[in-house]
Order: sequence, then C-alpha cells, then structure tokens
Amino acid sequence: MTTTVSASGLSLRYGATRALDDVSLRLTPGVTGLLGPNGAGKTTLLRVLATAVPADGGAFTVLGQDPGTAAGRQEVRRRLGYLPQTPGFHPDFTAFEFVDYVAILKELTDRGARHREVRRVLDQVDLSEVRGKRIRKLSGGMRQRVALAAALVGDPGFLVLDEPTVGLDPEQRMRFRELIAQAGEGRTVLLSTHQTEDVAMLCHRVLVMAGGAIRFDGTPAELTARAAGRVWNSTGRDPGAKAGWRTGTGSFRNVGNPPEGADLAEPTLEDGYLLTLDDAGVRAGVAA
Amino acid sequence: MTWHVEAEDLRAYAQGELAAPMLWSADTHLVACAECRGVLASVSDPVSLDAGWERLDAELDAPRPGLFERTLVRVGVADHVARLLAATPVLRRSWLGSVVAVLVMSVAAAHSARNSASPTLFLALAPLLPLAGVALSYGPALDSTYEMAVVAPVHGFRLLMIRTVAVLAAVLGLSGLATLALPGYGLGALAWLLPALALTSTGLALSARLGPVLAPSLVGGGWVAVLLAAKAADAGPGSTLAPFTAAGQGVAAAVAVLAGGLLFLVRDRFDRFRGSAA
Repeated sequence: MTTTVSASGLSLRYGATRALDDVSLRLTPGVTGLLGPNGAGKTTLLRVLATAVPADGGAFTVLGQDPGTAAGRQEVRRRLGYLPQTPGFHPDFTAFEFVDYVAILKELTDRGARHREVRRVLDQVDLSEVRGKRIRKLSGGMRQRVALAAALVGDPGFLVLDEPTVGLDPEQRMRFRELIAQAGEGRTVLLSTHQTEDVAMLCHRVLVMAGGAIRFDGTPAELTARAAGRVWNSTGRDPGAKAGWRTGTGSFRNVGNPPEGADLAEPTLEDGYLLTLDDAGVRAGVAA
Repeated sequence: MTWHVEAEDLRAYAQGELAAPMLWSADTHLVACAECRGVLASVSDPVSLDAGWERLDAELDAPRPGLFERTLVRVGVADHVARLLAATPVLRRSWLGSVVAVLVMSVAAAHSARNSASPTLFLALAPLLPLAGVALSYGPALDSTYEMAVVAPVHGFRLLMIRTVAVLAAVLGLSGLATLALPGYGLGALAWLLPALALTSTGLALSARLGPVLAPSLVGGGWVAVLLAAKAADAGPGSTLAPFTAAGQGVAAAVAVLAGGLLFLVRDRFDRFRGSAA
C-alpha cells in the first residue's frame, strides 16, 4: 500500500517538556485515528507533520517530500489539507469568501478556477445553500464544515484534522463523521480526537499517544482486544479496578485485572484505550 | 441595453484573459444581453466558450466582494491580493478610526502649543502608529487564521510583507494628511516618517526571534526611552528633540536600512508556527 507519511524518531521539546518522544509511524490511505488525553502531544505531532513546526530530531517524509527543505515543505503544503484544533475565521467574511481566502493562500490565483474550486468544496460539505451567509451567523457545526471545506481546497493527498468533532452536538457530530468518511476515500486522513466513537466509526487504524510517545499502533479491533478478559461489571465500585464508572443501569463497569469469579463484560474500544493509557502510566479520567 | 461589451473585451473574455473589474461587468452584462452573447459565440471557439460559461456560472455563484475589496480592485490591486488584504486584522474601521483619533488629538496639541520649534507630541506618536498597526496584523494571537496560513504554500514572509505594505500605506497616508494640518512647521512636521520606518522595520526584524507581541513592545518602549533621554538633554524651550534633528533623522534612516536587511535575512522564520505548545 502507498505510504503517505513515513516518520522515524521524531522528537520535540518545549523547554523542559518533551512534547514528542521518539515518534515513528507510517500512514497509508484511509482514516487513521490519533487518540490521547490532553497534553499527550497529539496537536504537536499534527503540527510537525503539517510542516507548521519543525521537529528537534528525527526525520519524516510526506507524500514523498522532505519537509526539512524549503522546496520540499512547499510541495507538501501544496498537497496538504489542515483543519486546526480551533480554526479561526474572519467573522465578516461569508462562507464563500473565507474558503476563497484559503484557496488564495493555496496559490489558486486564477479567479474563475478558484471560484469553481470553492463551489466544489462547499458542495462537498453540503454548505452550498449558506455560502453567502456571514460566518458569524453560522452554527458551530456549520463553521466546522466551512473549515473542513477550506482544508479540502485543492484536493489534498494528506488531510490533517485536529479534534474536529469537539463542541458539536450528537447530530452535528454524526454529520461531520459522514464527511470525514467521504474525505478519507482515496486519500490519507490523520484524525486527532478524544472520542473513541470517532475512531470506532471511521478509522481503519488507530494510534494512541501519551507523554509525547506512541503507545499503541494497530487496528481498532486490536485495541479493543487489549481489554479482552479485563472488563467486568459489579454492583459497587471495585477498589481493585484501574478505572471504573457507573453505567446507565446503575451497575459499575470496571477495567483492570478482574477478581476471581467476576462478571466479565464484552470489551469496547474505550476499554482498550483506557488500559493502554494505564499501561503507559497515565491515569485516565473516570467518573463514578 | 444602454451599452455593450467591446468586441475586443469579449475576445479577451472568451480566452479567460479579461481582468477584474471589467470581468465582473462583462459577467453581469452577458447574463442579460443576448446580443453580446451572440458576439461572444462568434469570437470564441466552442471549447473556450464552454469554459467561459462555466466561469460565468461560478462567478454568478460567488458573493459580491465588500466595499473595501471592491475599492482595492478599482485602484488596480489584483483581486486575490485584495482578498488577502481584506483578511488583515487591523485594516478595519475600528483600527483606522483609532489612528485618526490619535492623529487629530496630537495635531490639536501641536496647535495649542505653538511656542515649540516642532510639534513634539505629534512627532513622538506618529512613528508608533505603523509599528502597532503592523504588529497587530499578523501572529497567532491576533490573526484568527494564522495557523491555516502558516501551513499554506504561500510563504509566510510574503503574506507578512503584503499586509505590512498595506498597513504602512494606510497609516502613513493618514499621518501624511495630518501633517498637512501643521503647515507652520514646514518640513520639520515630516520628521516622524523616518523614525516610523525605523521602528516598524526593527519591530518586524526582532519579531522573528521575540514574537509579534514582545518585539514591537520592546521597540515602542525603546522609542519612548530615547525620547525621554532626548528631553532630559534638551537645551530648553524652542529647541528640537535630537531624534527630529538632521542627525537624528540620519540615524533613523540607517536603522531602517539595517533592520530591513536583517528582516530579509530572517525571512524564513516567518514560515513556521509561533505559538504555545499543545
């Protein structure tokens, strides 16, 4: 399978903080999920791969280009789509004008060709009807779709999405997932998220990050399988569990090393994720 | 129809070579004028005619640009550059209004203190306006689309320069108009110009290392310190502060040139993200 991104030994420090610690990975076409708690280094990794921030050490290529050189970096940027964690908008711009602005930044200077491309990507995210509306008047979900449309300008080969579903209501999140799934057809998408449901529904592969390092690299099924035999239900909180929370039925769901005779439950991707974090020495936030 | 598109313009239109704003006029006119559409068909080959209709379709779909962008295009700025400028955070009525207010106040102060050899308050404040304007026109804290722009193929330094030139043109233009309100001081009323260029270029050059907030703050503070030192060494009423003398102007010019050179040398630093870790 074609390799879109190949990285080995990436490291980056911000003062005393090791934001990236010997990160190696290979990305291929399809949607790859990047899971991790706050401060895990997800955004830093995305910024490095998107050529926004240079790494201190290691090497990587994107779409066969070396972003360490000015020429290689520019080539990568021509074929890159990037949706940052908090995409900023010029609130006085309409949706069309904003995407048009990003298209200009992507070197589409011919007005006619650029406007056709803007119309195409707005159609793709189903925003044609509101293209003339000021961004400040759009809902959060629509703004996020405008940002996705901007990222899709120029039909990029590598699409980087940094927590795009944060702040969306369930319906908007479902709609956005459909769009990400469509965007992932025929191109490589790296999707950073807190939501294990995003990964379960969209991704053919998942990376788990904690402390600046990759702690898991495999399929969602393999991550789920990590929790096989390590999830159980109980009537009260089990003090021996690594994490436990009350479910909607009132019983407690626990992950960790089950006691003798425990009522084992079917593991989910979230269970596998929590155990991976625990193995990495990161205490996952859980609620009783 | 009271007018028709010239045949030559229609040929250029068919070949995709007609530029805005004439292009916009032709687009609008062709929708309503069958006669011009007929002429267009006669001067076009079928392939380029199809492309022209497709372009027209896309144009009709595009919202009309705002007044600021339309004005820029009418004075000869390319439409894509006009849109980049429309996205410049400080090129807004609120910012330009603040600049005008500061200039009006400093001009009024100069008129109320006519015993001085130079309009000191005006000369001291005018160089800070472009420094602040340029500082507020880029960077992660102030440009809402900064992160998207950094990873775009357009070089960050080019975008910075486009915005800098626009801000300088706006602020220096307004300061120049304010200078006309001080005719009694002759050329001395223009002694803000070289310090303005020196402060702006120094602020930009240092921001490559210190960032877009700290660098202009330090430069602005340095300018105030220079003025206070010059005031302390002032010979007395009626004299001109050192930065506004011929020697001071020479120093300002030299600083502007040196800082401009340094800025060019560090231009690649503007092509990478400057912001907090995440």
